[in-house]
Amino acid sequence: MTRTLRELRPVWMVGVGLHPYQKASETPYTALGVHAVRAALADAGLGWKQIESAYTGTATTAMGMSRLMYRHLGATGIPMAQVENASASGSTAFRQACIDVAAGLADVAIAVGVDKPLRFGMPQGPAGVRDLAGGRVLPFTHFALLANRYIHDHGATPEQLALVAVKNSRNGALNPNAQRRRARTLDEVLAPPQISGPLTRLQCCPVGEGAAAAIVAADDAIRRLRLDTSRAVRVLSSASRSETVYRGENFDAALTRETAKIALDDAGLKPADLDVVELHDAFTIEELLYIEAMGLAPVGHAAAELAEGQFDIGGRVAVSASGGLLSMGHPIGPTGVGQICEITSQLRGEAGPRQHAGAHTGLAHMVGVGAVCVVHVLQKAG
Amino acid sequence: MTRTAAHVGLYDPRDEVPTLRGTRCEACGATFFPPLGIGCEVCGATADRLGAVPIAAAGVLHSLATVHLHPGNDISAPFAIGEIQLDDGPLIRATLIGLPDLDSIGRRVEAQWVVGRTDGDGNEVVEPRFAVVSDCGPVGGAS
Repeated sequence: MTRTLRELRPVWMVGVGLHPYQKASETPYTALGVHAVRAALADAGLGWKQIESAYTGTATTAMGMSRLMYRHLGATGIPMAQVENASASGSTAFRQACIDVAAGLADVAIAVGVDKPLRFGMPQGPAGVRDLAGGRVLPFTHFALLANRYIHDHGATPEQLALVAVKNSRNGALNPNAQRRRARTLDEVLAPPQISGPLTRLQCCPVGEGAAAAIVAADDAIRRLRLDTSRAVRVLSSASRSETVYRGENFDAALTRETAKIALDDAGLKPADLDVVELHDAFTIEELLYIEAMGLAPVGHAAAELAEGQFDIGGRVAVSASGGLLSMGHPIGPTGVGQICEITSQLRGEAGPRQHAGAHTGLAHMVGVGAVCVVHVLQKAG
Repeated sequence: MTRTAAHVGLYDPRDEVPTLRGTRCEACGATFFPPLGIGCEVCGATADRLGAVPIAAAGVLHSLATVHLHPGNDISAPFAIGEIQLDDGPLIRATLIGLPDLDSIGRRVEAQWVVGRTDGDGNEVVEPRFAVVSDCGPVGGAS
């Protein structure tokens, strides 16, 4: 018989750390990653010697990169591996760390997302897959197609779409780890360059470099190592799904709908229980589609509800309080782990000027080329 | 001068009207475009159950986008990409003829041969691009 994460040993988030997301630079990935790990260790009150397993979420840097990074913390011989799952690499690394702790394979595990934007090899070439549109449909055009269909179906406007980027830029301006740190007006977001369909440059996320680290622990370790239980946040569920065959519909919303439902069901919660949500807003249209797919708004209503401020910090449910992929940035490997860091900070009440008052329950969501989807639900203790 | 295909294996450039080469699974009846080898995505049937099937290059425009930024040199921006619900089943993406507006969503589209370029031997390299069929009102999918 299978069990959900919640039915295994409780998994607690005990440490978060980031290296700011930024444009590609000369900084080695090892320095980016170690910076985030040291920050997470300090946050948890732990030393590297107490970490029993490590998963590195990465997709665009190099093969076999973990050891060369972690050695700078003092080589302890722990198991370590890279986890590649496209944009969901960091989320999947975090899931593996949670599984280790839940199953009792480790009492303390770390997930580290780290990447530099060096290699973006897509699988279609080596798979021998050809299609009519070929290299003419880059990700921004995939999402431009979804955006225009959404506009057609629901009467949404390009201005409503752009308001997603306005909101997330306002949040990102408050985040010292964000790559884009300027609050933008609607006119600025709508300004050229036009990229594809209704999407302008500021409606597409920046892909740079950075790192994020999340440390999870079991009750045994929290007691033994005298960690601060008042700041621990429970990982209630972890769901991971892949695309099936959806006739006459794109996979994006369908895959998120089923994965978010599993994550909420496993956590024993409803969409209305969520206070803070970090989702895969690589392009503005995605935020609207996923808000609806998660059940946070009826289908066709997300654009209007967003314009009303319902997804602002301080609104009904804060969506992309970190600035999201659109403003915090999307360095690929770090992104999913960075979401867990943001949710944890929010649930601890430590998000500073980005704090969503009364945040008790949060959800983190990433999709990745393939397609795959990974969702975690976290909740404050007590 | 002969015509060659821009996408080898996806259609026969000698056909008068563009027809797509798809795959049909004998075990479950699913049709696919682009063609699928190795095994069926729906039921997992092995390659010996997958057969070539002609797929009409006609359907309903599900969505479209005008692309303003394109890093390749196979076509110059702006150009339009359409998402097409083919009459024979698959939902595909292809280049459109011209730059249709959003009101074209829900209208019928059909492929025509377009010469994309001429290769080194002087052959016309053709590809099917879809045109909105103008003498026919919106059909299913339009709201």
